[in-house]
Amino acid sequence: MSGCPFLGRKHHNSSQPEEDDSQKGINKASKGGIVYGEYLQLDKVLSAQVLQSQQKGDKIHDEHLFIVTHQAYELWFKQILWELDSVRELFIKNHVRDERNMLKVVSRIHRITMIFKLLVEQFTVLETMTSLDFFDFRQYLSVASGFQSFQFRLLESKIGVADHLRVAYNRQHYRDNFHGQESETLLRSEQDSSLLQLVEEWLERTPGLERDGFHFWGKLQANIEEGLKLKKQKLKEMSNSEEKEDMLEDLNKQTEVFTAMFDPSRHEYLLNKGERRLSYKALQGALMINFYREEPRFQVPFQLLTSLMEIDTLMSKWRYNHVCMVHRMIGSKAGTGGSSGYYYLRSTVSDRYKVFVDLFNLATFFVPRAWVPKLNPQIHKFHYMAECYDSSYNSYSSEETD
Amino acid sequence: MSGCPYFQAKLLPSSKQHLTEDENNDSQTGVNKASKGGILYGDYLQLDKIVTSQVLQSELKGNKIHDEHLFIVTHQAYELWFKQVLWELDSVREIFISGHVRDERNMLKVNTRINRIVMIFRLLLDQFAVLETMTALDFFDFREYLSPASGFQSLQFRLLENKIGVPHNQRVPYNRRHYRDNFRGQESELLLRSEQQELTLLQLVEQWLERTPGLEEGGFNFWGKLQTNIFKGLDGEKEKIEQETESETKEEMMAEFIKHRDVFLSLFDDKRHDHLLSTGQRRLSYKALKGALMIYFYREEPRFQVPFQLLTSLMDIDTLMTKWRYNHVCMVHRMIGSKAGTGGSSGYQYLRSTVSDRYKVFVDLFNLADFLVPREWVPKMNPTEHSFLYTAECCDSSYCSSDDSD
Repeated sequence: MSGCPFLGRKHHNSSQPEEDDSQKGINKASKGGIVYGEYLQLDKVLSAQVLQSQQKGDKIHDEHLFIVTHQAYELWFKQILWELDSVRELFIKNHVRDERNMLKVVSRIHRITMIFKLLVEQFTVLETMTSLDFFDFRQYLSVASGFQSFQFRLLESKIGVADHLRVAYNRQHYRDNFHGQESETLLRSEQDSSLLQLVEEWLERTPGLERDGFHFWGKLQANIEEGLKLKKQKLKEMSNSEEKEDMLEDLNKQTEVFTAMFDPSRHEYLLNKGERRLSYKALQGALMINFYREEPRFQVPFQLLTSLMEIDTLMSKWRYNHVCMVHRMIGSKAGTGGSSGYYYLRSTVSDRYKVFVDLFNLATFFVPRAWVPKLNPQIHKFHYMAECYDSSYNSYSSEETD
Repeated sequence: MSGCPYFQAKLLPSSKQHLTEDENNDSQTGVNKASKGGILYGDYLQLDKIVTSQVLQSELKGNKIHDEHLFIVTHQAYELWFKQVLWELDSVREIFISGHVRDERNMLKVNTRINRIVMIFRLLLDQFAVLETMTALDFFDFREYLSPASGFQSLQFRLLENKIGVPHNQRVPYNRRHYRDNFRGQESELLLRSEQQELTLLQLVEQWLERTPGLEEGGFNFWGKLQTNIFKGLDGEKEKIEQETESETKEEMMAEFIKHRDVFLSLFDDKRHDHLLSTGQRRLSYKALKGALMIYFYREEPRFQVPFQLLTSLMDIDTLMTKWRYNHVCMVHRMIGSKAGTGGSSGYQYLRSTVSDRYKVFVDLFNLADFLVPREWVPKMNPTEHSFLYTAECCDSSYCSSDDSD
């Protein structure tokens, strides 16, 4: 069987440590039931590496790395879609109204960011291939191209990348690659509610926005106007100088920014341009969560907003890492799929693809803590009390682990 | 076709052209080739196989647990990368086995591929952070459906260990006794072959080290010269200490010196080396050890630069494998506490026992640090006399220059 200590010629066992509890156990594999290789369907996974260079009679060693790297990316894309769809489902089914589900939502969105971090790291492995070695087999790749990655497009679509904001080549051609069921699935994903849209609706329901309630927006506007007025008065009292002029100029600029902030038609204008993606009400909800993030009810929502921005950042880093590597591999040559290659990819490293761009831009509207409307725990209880019962959802959450 | 601007309800036609910078430049030119025939991405990567191999046992048993998908995908990703590591490892072993490594133009390839293995292991280490987003509570919800599947049954992992050079008799008892039980038929044969018949990376590197130029007693005679220099140097140190005035400090210094001297005495004691070999504390032959020390001391000589990088990368492999084992241990402890493993081992305790120098293949390279000496003690090279440091061997009758990409 196994374990004959005299098998190796040079060594003998006098130095082996005494056996302790750590070495106890019986090997269960022979007792029936699914074993590791079957559980993971390794027969399928590990037989999927077929080198085109080898098929064409010119086996190039590095092609194996190229294949495995892309397969690993696609495995993780599948995992991200699994998490993303489960979160979208929680919003779509309104289970998110039971705030006990927020932990699940935030954990899964955070998991997506951890996977993206790994995917960015993964470039370093493919970067061990030189452009010279890539050149040796690139010709055998024919028209295969990452541009045809179905899961990648699903991902973009389900997160909320807007079709009309894609760069021209992308917008014109990306759907051409998919037919039949894939094409239908892709089309459907563009019609279904994206994460962006679901988060938007959720933000619009942020407690504290109600005009007949806390009326956050009205109070904020009043406080800001008051604050700016006081600042202006103090400046006017200063003796004339160049410094005073500069400070007045700054104050004017600040005033403009805040005036625009409270102008709903300006928001509509920017929405139409694609420079903003969330509704005006959702933006207010986001600002509320940011200002009051330490209130118990908003702590986890705040973590969610942070993770959503992290997804955008990581996707953009992924795109950029990809660009850098492609530049090194193929210089200015066209891509196998037909795009201009490096130049095309470079154009996708852009805010057009930043889904939660509004969350980043909230920083434009931050004010000193003193200007943030005060909460009175006696009057305003909403920020301590979560909603944890919704008639459409059965409370005992471990029934549906999804 | 694609790109209809009126598709989305909210928008007005005038709205889309805001970010005009790169709308009409060359970056957006091109023709989509996918419709013109030829293998496409999904077929090239056989994604139909890969993306349909995630079957949740919890779902089959009527109790679908969300996190099981992550568990499956993580392990599949590990196995994909194990396959890649084996691909690189076997190609390097082949270069040694076929003798091609004697053509020193192949050293770049050897080095690059070993370094690639190191990069993959770094990624595999980072990968734990993803599985760590699963809580022990969520794991508990589906663990019952896994039995008796266990990582202990990973064929590729065992092949990896064997082909690098983990010796069978050094495995901890539970591992040694049972690890081959999990495999039958062809898998079992493969495993046995990798353990007993095929030359491991360690053995191949050992043979290569024994051929290090400069060791020849009738030639440069590195070892003889080194021994002379070291003992001369030690004598000099001893004299200096003896000249000090008697004091407690002087006694301490003398005691230190004796320890120091004993280390070097052991270095030149070949019987001691054989003893340590038999207990498994050393793995390389005495001659190979000399070769490694030679490469260390003369690493800046042109001929030894890439060999030195190779030795460094081999140690990186050991370090990363042991970090991998340790990361695994930490995670398992959090997931299952002291419970037994699904495969039957004691679980955390068993895994912890494998984080040990027993599994360190290139342990000798690490221990060479014991024998480092001041630069002046290293035997001097004379470029006109010792031209071997500048002249690589680049022609071997059995190998023709750039034919084999493998």
